[in-house]
Parts: sequence; structure tokens; C-alpha cells
Amino acid sequence: MTTTAANSGSGVPVLEARELSKRYGRKTALDNVSFSIPGESFVALLGPAGAGKTTTLRLLAGLERESGGDVLMDGSSVAGLEPKERDIAMIFDNLALYPHKTGFQNMAGPLLERRLPREEIKERVDAVAEKLRIAHILGRLPKTMSGGERQRIALGRALVRSPRVFLLDEPLSSLDAPLRFKLRSELKRLQREEKHTFLMATPDFSEALAVADTVLLLRAGKIVQESSPEDLYACPVDCEAALFVGSPQISLLRAVVREERIHCAGMSSPLPASLESAAQRLRQSGEDGFLLGVRPERVRPLLSPSSAPDGKAPDASSSSVGEVVDIESQGLRSIVTVCRDKEQIGMFCSAAQRAEIRIGQSLAFTLEDWEGLPAFDRITRKNIVRQGAGQG
Amino acid sequence: MPPRALTLSGRILMCCVLALVLFPIFWLFMTAIKPPTDWNASPAIWVPAEPTLVNFKTLFDPDAIREYGVGGVSQSAGDAVFGSLLASTVSTFISVALGTFSAIGLSRYSRGGRLTPLVILSGRMFPPAAIAVPFVIIFSLLGLIDTYAGLIAVYIAVTLPFSTWMLKSFVDDLPREIEEAAMLDGMSRLKAHLTVTIPLIKGGLFATTMLVFILNWSEFMFALVLSYSTINTIPVQLAKYVTATAGTLYGVQAALAVLAMLPLVLGGFFIQGHLARGMTFGAIKQ
Repeated sequence: MTTTAANSGSGVPVLEARELSKRYGRKTALDNVSFSIPGESFVALLGPAGAGKTTTLRLLAGLERESGGDVLMDGSSVAGLEPKERDIAMIFDNLALYPHKTGFQNMAGPLLERRLPREEIKERVDAVAEKLRIAHILGRLPKTMSGGERQRIALGRALVRSPRVFLLDEPLSSLDAPLRFKLRSELKRLQREEKHTFLMATPDFSEALAVADTVLLLRAGKIVQESSPEDLYACPVDCEAALFVGSPQISLLRAVVREERIHCAGMSSPLPASLESAAQRLRQSGEDGFLLGVRPERVRPLLSPSSAPDGKAPDASSSSVGEVVDIESQGLRSIVTVCRDKEQIGMFCSAAQRAEIRIGQSLAFTLEDWEGLPAFDRITRKNIVRQGAGQG
Repeated sequence: MPPRALTLSGRILMCCVLALVLFPIFWLFMTAIKPPTDWNASPAIWVPAEPTLVNFKTLFDPDAIREYGVGGVSQSAGDAVFGSLLASTVSTFISVALGTFSAIGLSRYSRGGRLTPLVILSGRMFPPAAIAVPFVIIFSLLGLIDTYAGLIAVYIAVTLPFSTWMLKSFVDDLPREIEEAAMLDGMSRLKAHLTVTIPLIKGGLFATTMLVFILNWSEFMFALVLSYSTINTIPVQLAKYVTATAGTLYGVQAALAVLAMLPLVLGGFFIQGHLARGMTFGAIKQ
């Protein structure tokens, strides 16, 4: 259970959850969750609504008592300590500003509680406000601010005191898309430049992949995968994780291995090296079928030879044909979904190709590179490639 | 939402409703300044030809009305006004203060489990008449009959469920994250509640205080059964103006009722500005 992100030198994680559990009555919100947050890292807690993200953050912050397990900061237990005794800042998903206080008073809150001298408070708030470019709204009440300004005030309120860890609960969820992208990159830059430690809960895989060093995938109160963003995308732990991460969704296609060739969706290819050991294990267990995870960027539509960029006609075994059931434009490119033998396969096409495709027509397509595709057991839905790689 | 202009039929309807509501109050004020001969004259006298303040004078000087040849109540209403002010004010403040903390406890910490709020409310479900006799017996054992301490204790007991429930709804409306953010800022739980929760439910506190005060101010039955000679309240005093010898002293009753309205009207004006909703606007998203 080690993370690869840079450590703050000592090797002891700043924040650690050990077999953390939380039950509300008979309902288990969090079930034996363990992870550690190294210093100066940006960790994302990714999961759908109700997975236990907020519960996790609230337990770490000390706002709720754990039903079992322990929370450690710098290696020592903080169980039973009040929120104010833990050096943690939290930004709530609803921001929770003081509605009756100005931007300045909101940001100064933590410093006033620490009884810092007035001049120092002003200095520190002004410095953070400068960094977040909100100096001009410090005199205003939250109700007169825009969503982005409130978001920055909430962030500033956490930043003025430079705590050991920042917990961010879906901090960008209510902002509109352009502002969300902007603040997201600002957050990342801030974390990197100031060497802060961030734990951010988010239901949005693209947000998690964009900012985090390490992603913890949480589902139904359990951490199902802890990995780098790249690994989460390329090698999801099971079918659900594969479907949750990536848009448009991954296609899970029935595949079999016969005579050292892999057959899938009417196409076949020599068995790629990445699947060799998995195929061998399948053979030993008397199985030969599994599910192959194919992301849309791996699939290429085959139109008339003139529109194929490289002009080389693929051989029959490496291409297949399906009926176009959906076309969704994304501007520069479109997502085409074809249906073949009750399986849906998504792929991207260019705007020029888009003009030639109609819903209901048949469309040839090819899977260009079979190397590194994730494969899943049909019954357990677990990643069989990853299992072989010795999953922690 | 900007105020919408009323249609003509709306205005007429509004005037009818206002007339219905305001007529008894108009009649009360007129009766308060009528001399005894006009009180129950037939046909009714709407506006007295010779308005007088003798009814008000009689409240504090019971013999003043004798020049009109009526009378029969020798007790000054001063005791009653004092008693009502004392009992209502003290019990209201204690009830709202205790109610605030029980509301926070119930709303934020689910103290006592999920059924507690209902159990508390069930205290309000007894008709006062059902518990009056036990109260009298217990209070006489405790020596609390005919004391303000006893009356105040009853008023607190009777209104506490009400203030708890009403304030709980205001605390429930306040996002708990605002307090939790304060705790993360470095406040203790108590300090967060005192400096964040309570200021933010100010509107609810004023409204609850007003309603509890009205309940206490107009309470009649407990005041009647728990008072003999030492303590007195306005509702009890009002009943004393019905005498066997002189019939009902309508004008004096009306005068006391007008006085009794004063604190409520003033209080209403005072809290009006604080009753606005939307105190927390801007604190949270949306």
C-alpha cells in the first residue's frame, strides 16, 4: 500500500487511514478503508455519489467519529481529537462560508481563532487574496459574490493558515465548465508551487485524472483501486472501474483465444504480448472466453479508401463491420457507435468522415493496436491482466 | 419577487378581510374610551360622544369609576400588569434559551435518539385541563402555589416543547457545514454554536421568543388555578371585572385589553425586520 508520489522526506505519510470504517445504524458507509497521503502530493478520491467520499473526508477532519479503525497524522493517531486539534483544512462541497461576514472576515477566521496580531492577519489574508486574485472582493458579503468568487474565498480561507493537509470535497462541482477547468488548473498549480498536500473528493474521473498524482477509486464504501491516473485509465481493476473512467465509455467485447490468436468482434489478431500470461491462466482453468476492454480511441472507422489517411487497405481478419446506431458530434470529432452481434463499439471519426456516415448504414472498422488492452473475467468481472501483474 | 399590483376585485376582497379582522380591535378601542352608560347601550354607540379615560384610571384606582355609579372590583390592575410582565418575560427567556440548546442538540447530535423530538412534542398533546389538577397538588406540596417561581416553572414546562420544536426547524435549515467550517477554523463546538449557529438563527429566535411570549402573556388557566392572593396576571384580572353586583365592567376590561396589546404590538414592530428569511444566502452554493 505505497504510493509513488513524492514524499516529504521523512517517508512517514502526512495523513493515513487505517482500516477506517463508519456505520450509520445498520448501513455501512465506509468499510475498512486504508490509504496514505504522502506529503506534498495531490491525491484524488474518486467515486460515484454515495460511495463514501464525503464520509471519508469528514472522518479525517474529525467532524465525525469513526466506527472502527484509526486516522494517523505524521505517524501518530489523532482518533478522538476535535477538528480544531488536527491541523487540517477542509473545503466543503457547499463551501459553508459565514454568510454574515465579509470576504476578509471569512478568510481571516482561522487566524482570528489563533489570536494572531491584527497586522499579521491583514498581511496574510492580503497575500493569499492577491494570489487568488480576489483582493477586490474582500469587503463584500458572500451573497454579493459570484460562484467562482465564493469558491476562491473558501479556498483562501483554507490557504491562509497553511495546514498540513487540505481536504477538498467536490470543490468545483457547482461551477460551470470553463470556470471549472480554470480553477482546476489553478488548484494544481497552487498545490505544486506551494508544496501543499491535497486530498480531493470528486465524482468526475476527468477532474481526478487531470490533477491527481494518485487516484483512490472508492465504490460502495471500499477502495477498489489505488493507482496513478494513467494506470487507472489503462488498467482498471474491474469492469465497473473501466466503465466509470473514460468518456465515451469503454466497450467491453466478448473475446476468445484460439491457436495463439485473439478473436473479438469479428476481428482477429496474433495474441498480443500483454495478454499472453492471462491467456495462459485462462487455458489452465479450462476457460477461453473473456471480455476485452476497447476504448474508442483504439478503433478506427474504415470508409472509402480515399478517406483512409494512410490509404493501406487492412486485411479481412483485422477489420469488421457493424451497423451505425448513434452519432454524437463533439465539434472537431464525432463519436460513432456501431452495433455488431448485439455488442456496441464506440469510435471517433473526423468531421470529414462524419459527413459520410449515416445512422443505419453499415460501417467497417478496425482495431489497430491490440497491445495493452485490459481484459476481464466474464464472471468475476475482474481485470485478468492486472491480476497476473501482482495487484496489491 | 417584486410586489404585484392587486386587481380591483383583489382590493375589494382585501378590504373585506381587513374589515373583518380590524373591527373587533376598533370596537375594543372605542369601548375603552366609552363612559359606563355607553358600554352596552342599545342601539350600539360606535364612537362615544364624550370619550373618557376613566376606564384606564379605574385600572389603577378602582374607585375612580364610582362617580358613574358602578364598581365592585377593589383590586388594582397594577399587580396583574407587573405579574404578567414578570412571569411572561422570565419564562419566555428561559424557555427560548433552553429551547435553543435542546434544538441544537437534537438537530446536530441526535441526542437521545430519533424518537426524542416526538416524546418532547407529546408534552404539548395533553390538554392543559388534564394536567392542571396534578400541577396544583404537586405545587402545593412543594409550596409553589401562589408564587411567581411556580407560575414561571409551569410556563417554562408548557412552552419548552414548543420553543424546542420551532427552533429545531430553524437549526435544521442551517447547513451544518457552516458550523463545522468554524470548528475547522479552530473553534470548539460550544464556541461554534454560540458565535455561528445562534447569530444565524436570529430570525428564528426572535419569532420563537415572540410566539412563546404571546402564549405566556395570554395564558389563563394555570394562572387562575395557581394564584390566590399574592400573584396575579392580566388574563386573571380581566376575569375579575365580571362581578355579581355590577355585571361586567366592559369599559374597564377593554382598557386593560388595550394595555395588554401594547407590548405585543411593540414587539411585533421590533422583530418585523428580523423575521426576513434568507439570512444564510451566499453561504452555500446555489
